[in-house]
Amino acid sequence: MATELEMPGVKNQGIEEGPVGVWGMVIDQDLCTGCQACVAACSMENNVPIVGEEDANYGRYMHWIRIERLWESTEFPEVKMTSFQPMLCQQCHNAPCEPVCPVYASVHSVSEDLNLQVYNRCVGTRYCGNNCPYQVRAFNWWDYQDERIHPELVTLHNQMNPDVTVRRRGVMEKCTFCIQRIHKAEDKAKSEGREIEDGEFTTACAQACPASAITFGRLDDPESQINQLAEANPSRGFHALEEVRTLPRITYLRGGV
Amino acid sequence: MSESITLLAMFHDIEPASEGVEKLQQFGLDDDDMNVISGIPIKHSILGRPAAITYVSRIGLFGAILGMFLGIFFIYGIPYLYPLLVGGQPIFPIPQGFIITFEMTMLGLMGFSFIGMFVDSGFPSYTPKQYTPEISDGKVALLFSCPAGEQEKFVDALKEAGAESVAPVEARHL
Amino acid sequence: MTTAAKPLARRHAEEHEDLRQFIMHDPLPRGKMNAMAMESMHATSPIFWVVTAVLAAIVVFALGYEWYILIMKGQGTAGVTRPDYWGVFLVNTVFWIGISHAGTFISAILRVLKIESRRPFTRAAELMTTFGLVQAGLSIFMHLGRVWLVYWMFPIPNERQIWPDFHSPLMWDLMAITTYLLCSTMYLFLPLIPDLAMARDRTQGGWLKPFYKILALGFRGTEGEWKNLVTAMNIFAFAIIPVMFSVHTIVSWDFAMASRPGWSSTVFGPYFVIGALHSGMAAVAIVLFLLRSTMKYYDYFIRAEQFNTIGTLMLLVSMAWAYFYFNDYLVPWYGGDVWDKLVQEYTEKGSLAYLWYTMLIVNIAVPWATLWNKKWRETPWLLAIVGLLINVGMYLERYIIIPVGVTINRMPFTWRQYEPRIEIPMTIGTFALFLLLYMIASRIIPLIPVWEVQEGQEAHLIRKIGKAEISTLSEME
Repeated sequence: MATELEMPGVKNQGIEEGPVGVWGMVIDQDLCTGCQACVAACSMENNVPIVGEEDANYGRYMHWIRIERLWESTEFPEVKMTSFQPMLCQQCHNAPCEPVCPVYASVHSVSEDLNLQVYNRCVGTRYCGNNCPYQVRAFNWWDYQDERIHPELVTLHNQMNPDVTVRRRGVMEKCTFCIQRIHKAEDKAKSEGREIEDGEFTTACAQACPASAITFGRLDDPESQINQLAEANPSRGFHALEEVRTLPRITYLRGGV
Repeated sequence: MSESITLLAMFHDIEPASEGVEKLQQFGLDDDDMNVISGIPIKHSILGRPAAITYVSRIGLFGAILGMFLGIFFIYGIPYLYPLLVGGQPIFPIPQGFIITFEMTMLGLMGFSFIGMFVDSGFPSYTPKQYTPEISDGKVALLFSCPAGEQEKFVDALKEAGAESVAPVEARHL
Repeated sequence: MTTAAKPLARRHAEEHEDLRQFIMHDPLPRGKMNAMAMESMHATSPIFWVVTAVLAAIVVFALGYEWYILIMKGQGTAGVTRPDYWGVFLVNTVFWIGISHAGTFISAILRVLKIESRRPFTRAAELMTTFGLVQAGLSIFMHLGRVWLVYWMFPIPNERQIWPDFHSPLMWDLMAITTYLLCSTMYLFLPLIPDLAMARDRTQGGWLKPFYKILALGFRGTEGEWKNLVTAMNIFAFAIIPVMFSVHTIVSWDFAMASRPGWSSTVFGPYFVIGALHSGMAAVAIVLFLLRSTMKYYDYFIRAEQFNTIGTLMLLVSMAWAYFYFNDYLVPWYGGDVWDKLVQEYTEKGSLAYLWYTMLIVNIAVPWATLWNKKWRETPWLLAIVGLLINVGMYLERYIIIPVGVTINRMPFTWRQYEPRIEIPMTIGTFALFLLLYMIASRIIPLIPVWEVQEGQEAHLIRKIGKAEISTLSEME
């Protein structure tokens, strides 16, 4: 069940962890209403800090998922909006953010095929942020969560998720596909001696979406919901920025009625 | 064997210094018993002396090889010990191999040449030495040791060759 | 009817080119030159102390205190944001490494090419290299989010069971800049040893005497010592040239390896090297002008011919830079990638377009308009002004590549213009620190390699061939 890194002559083959699950997502842009419930849910689930109006205006919002609103023409009143575009970490198979980190803070998980961000290791060079073509990486510009600096946020700390680290200043963060939920489900399945069932758990954003626009699941299971969705909509499916060839794990559906 | 005495002859320029060297060689003085101290490097053939042996380039080459192995360790040894997958790139990358190996080889070459210069010249050395400050002002000095009783003829010959002064010299702190 | 094919110049009063205007043909006794070098070190006017005090104050407050705030509060005090993750600190890093290339060019390449007019100012240029690299190193540390953990980037044995990642261009940077800093410092020190010996001989007391005595290592000038020293210097001169080229190429690869439009260009390697030489040569012109105007007796050592050499090099490098810039400009302009074109459009027509126009004018038009004239090249203050303008232009070039280029990316929703904040005082602080280090060095070590000047003067001769006086150079090495 576990993956073994097959490299001749390599000493530490110990990269076997848990059952293999290649996790992916399907996001249906035609269903998305732009309500931003996913943004709120993700922030609550992953202890994403609140940055305040001034910094957010300057581009320093910390949201791991953002809803992009774009217009096709700018001449009022002939303004035509495109579909809302939820943009989050695409968990690329050939992630451009990984080889540029000098301290191995951004590495690839072999068993789950996810792009991991190791907060403890990050020294804050921000090369990964520059190199991400989707610009989904968020940097902790200040100590947002430190109650000595922001005493007004102390009560908000009561809602924090104990499964997720709280990041300090100088550390890069990004969407992890709610890896804490993945690991919980993997541990449960491992202890029960089975594979994870499709739909057993899901990410915070997928859970919160009222229009069911976000679906999370296993890409390597042909019967999983996301594979069924992709098969049912062959003409609407595409990968974001396909020409950059990062091989992302998220399929967007758009273009239907 | 009578004891020898060390003399220092001061010349104001390179030409008379090379004459002085020739005179000493005519007297049968061994090349190892002479040394020319100057304020600028003077080629050995100008002075009529054998070339000085230097080990600096050999030490530098040794350093370059060490540096090369260090570079190879960085780029291939480290991922061998702690392999981590990044960005679809091979664990043992080849282009980075060229870059890192080149830099470390050059560092080894130059670092060991520098150290080699220190080692070969005996630097740093703060023991008393035979020297006069006039040398750094452009004069050329001929330092030689001759048998104690015979210094008269050496002194005369060198004065004839154009030496400004020939005198016994004590080792002193620089 | 004349027999000549072309009309000959009428024999009017010809300017007799006096060879004695060149320092190699105008020798002074070594003792006198030594005395001049030593006296210019000790002749310190009150203005010097005032300027030093001002610079020190700027370094302490604009650099030291602001950096403390930056570390304690976080990178939020700087102007960086999403998508402008890299800002002025990176511009400073690239700029200072560029300045540092001039030193190596003069002391290594001009030495290998046997361009004799370099002899008086190799050390002044090499000091620029060392101090410039110090500023570059500081600037890159300023940019790190968790700078107190920078030692995680050093490949030394540790207990963390993890080493740095050499896939990353930043690690190549670390290796290259460390190599370059160490090697150029060693190359600064090697020819300094005989001059330190001279200073040791001419200093009787005070705290400087033990300083010179220790650093002179007991050098006397024996044949063996010279042979070792000159061999080491020759190895360095040849070996540091490829290192110099590789360092700025590797720095350029920080940008070229990124998948950003406008950055991912294959011409960046040589383009940055030429850019480094461009700003470096210009900085040398400024430094030579300042040294000549402020240091006693330096009008003997630094003459019109030195400025002429630097001016000619500045003109040639500006042409090479224009060639590479045109390459970098033409390819995205021609079309193909919509994002590259958008970056170019923003550079040329966006709100910061005036930076781009200024850059082109001062990097290309100014040198091309002024440096072709020998008389102008030999005028120190004019060359210094041209040099200053070129440095401004090269700083703008890096500013356009980094914070302006990074504004445009493939996700238009994120586009946002960068505004430098705490970077401004800290940048001024690095310039002040550079000048401060240079001023302190000018009091402690002789800036003119007097032994190399004398070595060159010994090798040069004026020989009369026919009716003319011809300069000859003997291969005395």
